[in-house]
Amino acid sequence: MSATSGNHSGNPSESGVALAVTGLSVAYGNVVAVHDATFAVAEGDACAITGPNGNGKSSILMGVTGMVRRRGEVAIFGTPARNGDVKWAARHGLTLVPERRQLYPELSTADNIILGCYTWTRSIGKARRSDAYGRAVDLFPELKPHLKQLAGTLSGGQQQMVAIARGLAANPKILAVDEPCLGLAEAVAKRVYDVLAQIHAAGTTLIIVEEAPRRALTLCNRRVEVRNGMAGAA
Amino acid sequence: MKFGNLLIAGITTGSIYAMFAVCVSVWYRVSNILNLAVGDFAMVGALGVDNLYRVKGLPLPVAIITTLVVVAVFAYLYDQVVLRIAQDGRRPIEGIVITFFFTFALSFFIDGVAKVLFGTDVHAAPTLWGGPALTLGSLNFERAGLLVLACAVIIGGAFWLYIRFTLGGKALEASGENSLGARIVGIDTRQYRRLIFIGTAVIAALFGIVESPITGFTYLSGATISLTGFLAAAYGGFRKPGRALVAGLFIGVLEAMLGGYVSAEYGDTVLYAILAAAILAWPRALGFESAVSG
Repeated sequence: MSATSGNHSGNPSESGVALAVTGLSVAYGNVVAVHDATFAVAEGDACAITGPNGNGKSSILMGVTGMVRRRGEVAIFGTPARNGDVKWAARHGLTLVPERRQLYPELSTADNIILGCYTWTRSIGKARRSDAYGRAVDLFPELKPHLKQLAGTLSGGQQQMVAIARGLAANPKILAVDEPCLGLAEAVAKRVYDVLAQIHAAGTTLIIVEEAPRRALTLCNRRVEVRNGMAGAA
Repeated sequence: MKFGNLLIAGITTGSIYAMFAVCVSVWYRVSNILNLAVGDFAMVGALGVDNLYRVKGLPLPVAIITTLVVVAVFAYLYDQVVLRIAQDGRRPIEGIVITFFFTFALSFFIDGVAKVLFGTDVHAAPTLWGGPALTLGSLNFERAGLLVLACAVIIGGAFWLYIRFTLGGKALEASGENSLGARIVGIDTRQYRRLIFIGTAVIAALFGIVESPITGFTYLSGATISLTGFLAAAYGGFRKPGRALVAGLFIGVLEAMLGGYVSAEYGDTVLYAILAAAILAWPRALGFESAVSG
């Protein structure tokens, strides 16, 4: 039932493995969302996880990042990841930008972003002075005028940028982004992808879940196709 | 100077309401559970200290510290046993049952134990700052009242500073806003639920100790306190400690003014009529819609 992922570009990355997933299964009660998925993402890759909605793409990310409990092995930069421990994954470099953003609507934009630092510090001063927070804010000049505004009052595109910025504030080596363009206008989606390309160019490994592979593959050099909860080569 | 003295009395009572409202709404923000037992912790604080000091003959500081430790340990165990099974299990209980039932049951449980331990008479913790009322011109300041106000300002201020200026405080707000989003950045929402539950239980007990010389407590006093705190918290949509604080103060002052100027007998009836009318007139502005729609 398991299959390894295909390599879209045909050139296996020469650097180390950032994320290795072996026999991953995720179930919600009796409903199996992901069955025995095996794939690896090399350091510096941009990997697209594609497939129709409801086929378990998001559940793969939820299982890998520890948001839900899983069966199977996940290793981040060679270290076996603890099951169901989001903070462990974040501290070892893997951060999730979830589907539908999952912001805190009644907190300010700046507070939403700075909470990304919670994965590595409890000090608000340290968080504010950190490079991770500074870079996250600098990457989105369009958010600057809105830093004091409540996140729930931002537009959908701005909220997506806040979610990505929060992910970056965690100082990730691997950024897993779930459906970054859901419900966004074409121009805004393009801006989101421009930013993701910038993040990738700066050396961060990317994993992007997309229903439509067309846009994802403008950026990604690898692809994992998910069908009926099974990941396979594309 | 009737107005001034009524205002002082109102602010004192109001600050008590405000503190309980803040306790209710801060915890509701984190856990989505209304703490209907918050007043019972105040009652345990007052009667526990009275019992240890007056009946058992312990020195006052020892009686106070023992009572607060017992309350903290009890709150910890309650969270670990009841709330963990209810909220953190494989099938977490949701909706009205978790919102009300578990703390409502806790309130009855504490009342029952308190009846056995402390009896049914009116008692109070000893006055911490004895002496005649302080006067300033024609204004009278009861010392116990000033102590209550000071505690309210210090504890309310500490809460505000914590939420406004620390990452832990923002994490606390975030876990109430969106628990899934909070977990993504590694916030342990259960830990905050436990921490705030224990913290507010101890604060409530402390307030019971400071306030009881003014009103006196029986084993049944908790319910009334919870209810007033609950009411003031409702004016902040249960989620806004700042608004709950203002609402608590306002209710206290209004109550004193109505008692002084309208009728001592019907003051409370008029008070609740005004509060109900305010909710009907401005449900959205008072945060009631956000409480209903979640």
